[in-house]
Amino acid sequence: MYGLEAIAACNGWAMAIAGALIVMAGLSVLSFVISQLHTVLELFDKRTESSEKAPPVMSKETNTDRYDPERPFLNMEEAVRHYQAASADLGDRFDLKELYAIFYHSGFPHPHLTIRSLREHGHLIPAGEGFFSWQA
Amino acid sequence: MELLFQFISNTGYYLADYRNIIMLCVGSLFVYLAIAKEFEPLLLLPIGFGVIIGNIPFFKGFGLGIYENNSVLHYLYFGVTTGLYPSIVFLGLGAMTDFSSLLVRPKLMLLGAAAQMGIYFTLLSALAFGFAPKEAGSIAIIGGADGPTSIFLTAKLAPHLIGPVAIAAYSYMALIPLIQPPIMRLLTTKKERLIRMPEQERTVSRKELLLFPVIGVMLCCFLAPASIPLLGPFFFGNLLKVSGVVDRLAKTAANAIIDTATIFLGLTVGASTQGDVFLTPKSVGIFFLGAVAFSIATASGVLFAKIMNLFMKSKINPLLGAAGVSAVPGSAREVHLVGQHEDPTNYLLMHAMACNSSGVIGSAICAGILWSFLL
Repeated sequence: MYGLEAIAACNGWAMAIAGALIVMAGLSVLSFVISQLHTVLELFDKRTESSEKAPPVMSKETNTDRYDPERPFLNMEEAVRHYQAASADLGDRFDLKELYAIFYHSGFPHPHLTIRSLREHGHLIPAGEGFFSWQA
Repeated sequence: MELLFQFISNTGYYLADYRNIIMLCVGSLFVYLAIAKEFEPLLLLPIGFGVIIGNIPFFKGFGLGIYENNSVLHYLYFGVTTGLYPSIVFLGLGAMTDFSSLLVRPKLMLLGAAAQMGIYFTLLSALAFGFAPKEAGSIAIIGGADGPTSIFLTAKLAPHLIGPVAIAAYSYMALIPLIQPPIMRLLTTKKERLIRMPEQERTVSRKELLLFPVIGVMLCCFLAPASIPLLGPFFFGNLLKVSGVVDRLAKTAANAIIDTATIFLGLTVGASTQGDVFLTPKSVGIFFLGAVAFSIATASGVLFAKIMNLFMKSKINPLLGAAGVSAVPGSAREVHLVGQHEDPTNYLLMHAMACNSSGVIGSAICAGILWSFLL
């Protein structure tokens, strides 16, 4: 058997049409799903962020010296003020190792480079016998 | 003297006939094309050498030939007849595929679907030519332009045609630079070929890359469960790659495992291609229909892109439709080159890769559909 008769005898038309429709439908659905995927993921991320953010507490007496890791320092003076406040417990004379430990645990960025920069700009001055102090 | 004559009568020289000689020449030609012309060398070299090995005459009954039990080649051929090697190759393919271009442009997945129409047109043609339904299904899948898929489905439906189908599939994949460009130029105008696709609009997040293989395998395999042996490993390989926590496994899948499977797949498919099956009018019909399948697949992808442009504000370059066939990355490269020929500043490669990736998924789904229809 050959030709159209053979196709009809083997149910060829139905197989071809059904197969074509199935693969088109399948990939269309997959295409639609992945087109919406990034939108759905963004919605989930936004919901997660809003539930984790605590509402800001507004008080009249705002401690401007409190360190906010998400707000970068505006200038060197502001940075020095924060570092001095964080190391207040060390006293007038302190070891740089102790200062580094406090900066590290307080979450200050790049504590090693920060201490070096403070020394280079004269904010940290040697106080003798390996100790340092803040420039007045 | 009698002993000497007995020995001589068992040599290949004595047992050879014209079919062995022809097949040895065919095998040598494939080896030459693979090495000298670099036509799909990763497959054509093992297949070509397999044809040489498989057609060296030997005395039967001593477990030497690929179709004899307890022979080494027979044990290796197990991976072909059971569909094991194609599944492993798909694992490696998934581990090498980057779906980010497809995730940014999901509309291009439709071009991969449209290009699979070549499979169904060829199914009808093969039935009209008088092939049995299962044979027609095996021939039709050549239109998917995917070697492992073709071998997988043929092993299930018509194992006696593995040799000609595999050789036809890989030969046409190697001839993509000759087959596709004329069709692309015939069906598109210069203005259409100059259409620029927008640059990547957004960065794909890691979560999307992680979710896609999971969603993809569920959606595709729920629709066509018979494609699980191909799409399951494919998406698994991709998940290994994008998870970032199993780099060793992903690298192994993308290198050692796929290379090992490719070697044994090619060698045993070649060795199974014997003269009595290959040198028949059926093989000529398979080669002819294979060319039809490729051409129709290319044309249907391009035409569907043109149809999509009738309904879209932001036009798609119709050349991308030709990349909807599963021949990664050959057809994507050809689309890019044809586009660059018109405008050297028009970069279509990443868009074409999106269509190519969806073509891999589409051809595997089609294989599952045909297998379930023709069981």
